[in-house]
Amino acid sequence: MINRFQITRAAELGSLEIFRNFIIECCTKYSIPGEVVLDLKLAVDEACANIIEHGYKGMDPGSIILSFWIEPDRILVQITDFGQVFEPVEGLKPDMEAALNNDEMGGIGLYLIYRIMDNIDYQVSVEGNTLTFTKCFRAG
Amino acid sequence: MFKSMRVNSRANKPKPALENPSISQLIGDANLPVTIKALNSLPENPKLRLCRTLIPIKILSDFAINPRTWKNPEGLLQVKLIADNGSDHIKISAWHGENPGNEFFYLELADNVYNGIDLNFVLVSNPTSERFGTDLDEQGRETLFGTVHRNLVEEEKAMRAGLAPGQIREGLHSSQIVINHIETFLTMMAHHAFFLEPLTYVSALIFEKRGFAYSKGHHMMDSIQREFQPGGELNKALDGSSVFRQPDQWKTARGRAWAIHDGILDVIDKKWDGLKMIKQVGRHAGVETFPDAQY
Repeated sequence: MINRFQITRAAELGSLEIFRNFIIECCTKYSIPGEVVLDLKLAVDEACANIIEHGYKGMDPGSIILSFWIEPDRILVQITDFGQVFEPVEGLKPDMEAALNNDEMGGIGLYLIYRIMDNIDYQVSVEGNTLTFTKCFRAG
Repeated sequence: MFKSMRVNSRANKPKPALENPSISQLIGDANLPVTIKALNSLPENPKLRLCRTLIPIKILSDFAINPRTWKNPEGLLQVKLIADNGSDHIKISAWHGENPGNEFFYLELADNVYNGIDLNFVLVSNPTSERFGTDLDEQGRETLFGTVHRNLVEEEKAMRAGLAPGQIREGLHSSQIVINHIETFLTMMAHHAFFLEPLTYVSALIFEKRGFAYSKGHHMMDSIQREFQPGGELNKALDGSSVFRQPDQWKTARGRAWAIHDGILDVIDKKWDGLKMIKQVGRHAGVETFPDAQY
């Protein structure tokens, strides 16, 4: 049985906490292990922060749609936005030393997503940009 | 090492055929998006067959119009399709009675520059309800929904009758069924989404209820909601200085919409433009910038 959840908010920093709380609320219902919830929060936070900072840069921000599907041994996350395309591939290999010396910490967020999530996919089209990733875990 | 990863940073949507599609193209690859310009280049009869799906049968039957022939019981044509060869627009309208200007349904779709589809206009109104002359100003000039000129006397009457800005008659409460038909039509055309610019605050809220998200302007809608709350700048500006800025108007979607139509967003240094909404076919975005709104 698949359980789907979705929340849509404006692409602004204030929405990040709402997304985090939404993840906690949904995962709690299904007794998802704490470390999985932590990873999910981190990945969603970083992905959405990138959309806010880069995707909707220079325009009145549009929406971010966060969806996830909870299955017994994995959670599939989908984040959709309608802003400009930013290149996740650029975030794959950050210069950690430079990033740590830089207040903005650019590139680390996406690097983290790729480190802690499985099966990452990024699709771009005029009809929306969709980042999809899966978090596999051993059911308790 | 990175885990399994696939990145596609290029548009994955196949480029639609821009013109002169053959029937074989339409039946050859069902996933190839077809532009409206390409559809318009079809012969009249297949074009008519496809475009018939754009008008909900329920709406036509409510006015005794045959959904296949588009005629009323007296045999008069009541629906007009404009889908000219070479054009990237489709316009379809239905009217009640003998005057084609008395439209109760009007829909316009167009190709956009991003190979997507824009819903330029949709109107569904009750042709038997009272008409308000908000479309012409006192000099007889077109108001273009009050964006260029205004007819304050007629607007006030319309507001008191419960209409929203931009309406000349009450609606038919059929937006859901109309959106469903557009989605069906666009699915047939192999598009996954369509775009629109909401004319008014009320229309933005209605499209939210119908599953649209914002590609621009979600933040502004949140700001409007916030500033209309007691203590907010828009709430304070409902100071009774005009009939369109009465203190209680913050409580309803229409009340807010009339104040916005009257230019109240100036106080937060905003204008009602630049909003863009997107409906992904088969997906309800769940946006609700005015929770539990009273209309």
